[in-house]
Order: sequence, then structure tokens, then C-alpha cells
Amino acid sequence: MNQAVISCLHANLPAVEAVLKDIELQGITNITCLGDLVGYGPQPNEVIELIRDKKIPTCQGCWDEDVVDGLDACDCSYPSQLAEKRGHFAHQWTTDQLTKDNKDYLANLPYSIRKDKCLFVHGSPNSQHEYLLPDMDAFAALERVENARAEILFCGHTHQPYIRELADGSIAVKIKNAAPKDIQEKEIQLPMRRIVNAGSVGEPRHGGTKATYVVHNEVTNEVKIREVEYDLELTCKAIIDAGLPPIFAWRLKNGFEFAEQAEDASHVCER
Amino acid sequence: MIERWALVSGLKGDLDTYELIQKDLKKTPGNITLFVLGDMIGPEKNCNRLLHRLINPNSNDLQPWCIYGWWEEQILLESGYRGDQRAEALRINKGEEVVKSLTNAVDKSFLNWIAALQFGFVELDCGLIHGSSKDIGENLTLDTPPLTLLDRLARLQVNRLFTARSKEQFHLELTEGTVNSEVEDLNGNFKKEQKVPQKAVIGIGAGKNYTLYDVGTDNTQFVQAGYKSEKRIKGFGML
Repeated sequence: MNQAVISCLHANLPAVEAVLKDIELQGITNITCLGDLVGYGPQPNEVIELIRDKKIPTCQGCWDEDVVDGLDACDCSYPSQLAEKRGHFAHQWTTDQLTKDNKDYLANLPYSIRKDKCLFVHGSPNSQHEYLLPDMDAFAALERVENARAEILFCGHTHQPYIRELADGSIAVKIKNAAPKDIQEKEIQLPMRRIVNAGSVGEPRHGGTKATYVVHNEVTNEVKIREVEYDLELTCKAIIDAGLPPIFAWRLKNGFEFAEQAEDASHVCER
Repeated sequence: MIERWALVSGLKGDLDTYELIQKDLKKTPGNITLFVLGDMIGPEKNCNRLLHRLINPNSNDLQPWCIYGWWEEQILLESGYRGDQRAEALRINKGEEVVKSLTNAVDKSFLNWIAALQFGFVELDCGLIHGSSKDIGENLTLDTPPLTLLDRLARLQVNRLFTARSKEQFHLELTEGTVNSEVEDLNGNFKKEQKVPQKAVIGIGAGKNYTLYDVGTDNTQFVQAGYKSEKRIKGFGML
């Protein structure tokens, strides 16, 4: 049986509709969303209402959290003061647009969703703001999955889809400076675990313009990254018409991979 | 000159123990740097004399380099140094009386000094912290999964992590590690074998139990203040 995992919708209604259509065409009814329904894009209420209408289980993303609780990330999330200014503007615009009912919905989203051996989070099990990048230290990545007691960790937040398998791991340990009877040496075998990043439906940053999501076969454990075309012009026009910063439309249209990416994406803001 | 670190924690206002440690260290050969890894204060006794001594060392004292620990975090929380948060974890686990005892044990004039202390030090390739690089309240022990220890080392980008929170004394070496990583993305498949060099996590103890670390040889010695150390020497030569 297949399940679809979507993330980082970012108020881009045409992209969300196109992805949901693609999922439907494959006969998949089991969908999980990893949050960031809002932010940057021009249709926050419409996207929330579509997800609510479809009753798609969703966990809270960093934008969803910030819109409800106020900004809790510092300027480390942005590569420049100008980018930070634009981010703050989008935050305020989104907050002003959202209905109270939709804000309440975002406020009550869970941080994570667990289904058997699968754990679904926005950033990492530690924080909605932590980026699990594909080249992150392999032991640290494995620790995120293992300490969350999962076999497969589904995440988003980076806007770059990937499937990472961590296998054949071991760590040798030795107790030093102890009484001879307490001195031990042992090798611990590490379990095979996977991290699956669903990419982004509404604001891809993989170097192309297509929306991405993943399909997981729960029987074979196979995971596939799906790319979906959508009406980009429609979203870009809506961004301009809404008075949002034109750069948001520009980077969508060009599929820029690194536009406005945080300088140190592995940094976790503690504020 | 041999360079050694003395790593102390959990004094909790006990000036007598601190003086005993200072006395020990005067007899210890080498160039000693004294690190106090938090919990200088606690609810059990008045901490003002110890704090005054740490801030204003006697002329023949080793200069202490202090960071804040779990109890310092609690008093800072309770005293409004962390915004709206209060020491709720302490209140729930130990009760209102302990919260009051803690705030009564430390004169308010010391709070700004405590608030200015750092979370930890990074010296050479070593991290010196109270709990862990994830949480000041995290206990790292011999039973902590090695994967977790590696993560806490990686967060500080160090090869040695000295921790005090568990109050235990131990020296656990992670001698070797390997894991295969295979990433598939829109550009293809990438395989990589990652190995870790030798790393270690060292529990330094608390109160009278402290640790000497020989920077040159990477040896630790677990010491009890006032104990005749000649009987316990391991690899350091005569003290």
C-alpha cells in the first residue's frame, strides 16, 4: 500500500492542487503533510482550508508555529538583513490574512505524527527549525532517527527532496581509567535507518521549478520522489497582486536553489 | 612544564571543599588551569562565601574559570533572567520549599555575575560543559547510547567532552565508528562511508570528587579532595 508525504506547501494553491491531483491519479488515499502550510505564498487561507477539507493529517511547520506564536527564529535563518526584512514582511502579511479559525487550526497541529515505524516531522524530532540536510554528519542523522524510536523519519523544511539510507554502522567503545574489573571494550552495531525528505510542494529549492513530494510503499519500503508541474504563472501573478515581495515570484519562476537560503542551514536557532 | 586541567563541579556553596581542592592543587605539579563546570550554588547551604571567593580569589588561589550549571540555570529562571520562564521543572520535582531555599542561598548581588557566565568552554579540541551540548540538564553517563554521545560531541565539534551533570567519574572512549550513507536525490545516487576518529566523553564528578586531565597525554585522574593521592596515581608520576 502506498502513502504520499507532502511538505512545505507555503500558501501556493496551484502547486498544492496539482500535487493532490497527481496523488489521486495514482490511487493513493493515505497522505501525510509535514507542515509549513503558510508563508511566502499568496493563498494561506485557501491552502489551509483545502488540507482541512481533505482531512490530511498534518504536523506543525516552523512558519505555522511562528504565525501563531510570533517569530522565534533569529536573523540566523536568513542570509542577509534584506532577506530577513522580506521574511518578516511575509510573516506579518500572512498573520493579517489568516482567519481566526485557521490560526486556531495551525496552533493545534501536532509537532509530530507517528504511524508504526514511521515518524513524520517538519524539521527534525528536536525542532521544527532544524534542517536535516542530505550531507549532515551520518552519525548525527542516525541519532535523530534512532532517538525518535523510528525506522523511517519523514521530514521537510530543507525544500530539497532526498532519501538517505544509513546502514552497516558500528561504534567501538572502551572504558578507560577504571578498576581492572570494570575495564570493558565492546563494539555496538547500529541499526539501519532511513531519512526521507519530501522536498517542497509550494517553494521548491532543488534547482528546478516543479513541486516535489514522495511516495512510500509500506510493504516494500520503496520510496520515490515525485516531481509535478503546476501553473507557475498563476502563483507568481498572485504573489505580485497580493503585494508580497516580487523576489518570491522571481525565485519560484527560476527555480533558484540557493535564493535566500540560510548561510548556515545546519544552525538551530535557540531563541 | 606539564599542562593539566583540574575539573570541578557541584560545589553547591561548599567553601570548605573548594579550599580543600585549592590546597590539593597547590601540591599538584605542572601548570594547572582550574575549571569549575557549574553547580557552584545549590539550595542546601548559603552560597555567598563561595561565590565571593570564586569572584575574588585569594592571592595564592588558582584562578577559577567558571561556567553555569543546572542550579545556576534554575536561579536565573526564577529571578527573571530568562524572560517569562520560571524554574517550573525544579518547582514540580522538588517543591516550592526548595525553590525558596535556592533563592535564599544566593544574594541577589551575585545574579549578574552568574548571568554573565558562559554555557561552556571549548579548549583545544575539548568541550567543557555542565550537562551536554544539547541540554544543561542532560546526564551523560556510561550507559548513554554511544550514538547520543557522538551527537553531543558533534554539536560542539570537539573530540573530548567533559561533563559534570551526572556527578559520575568516568572516561569513555569511542575508539572507532563507521556508517555507510547512501543518498538518492533528483541528481542521482551518492554513497559515502563515514568514519569517526577516536573521541571521548569524560564525567568529572561532583563536590569533593574532581578530575585532573593531562593535556599532553590525554590521561585522566579521578581525585577525591583531601585524599592521600599517592596511592591513586596512575600514569601521572608522583604528585
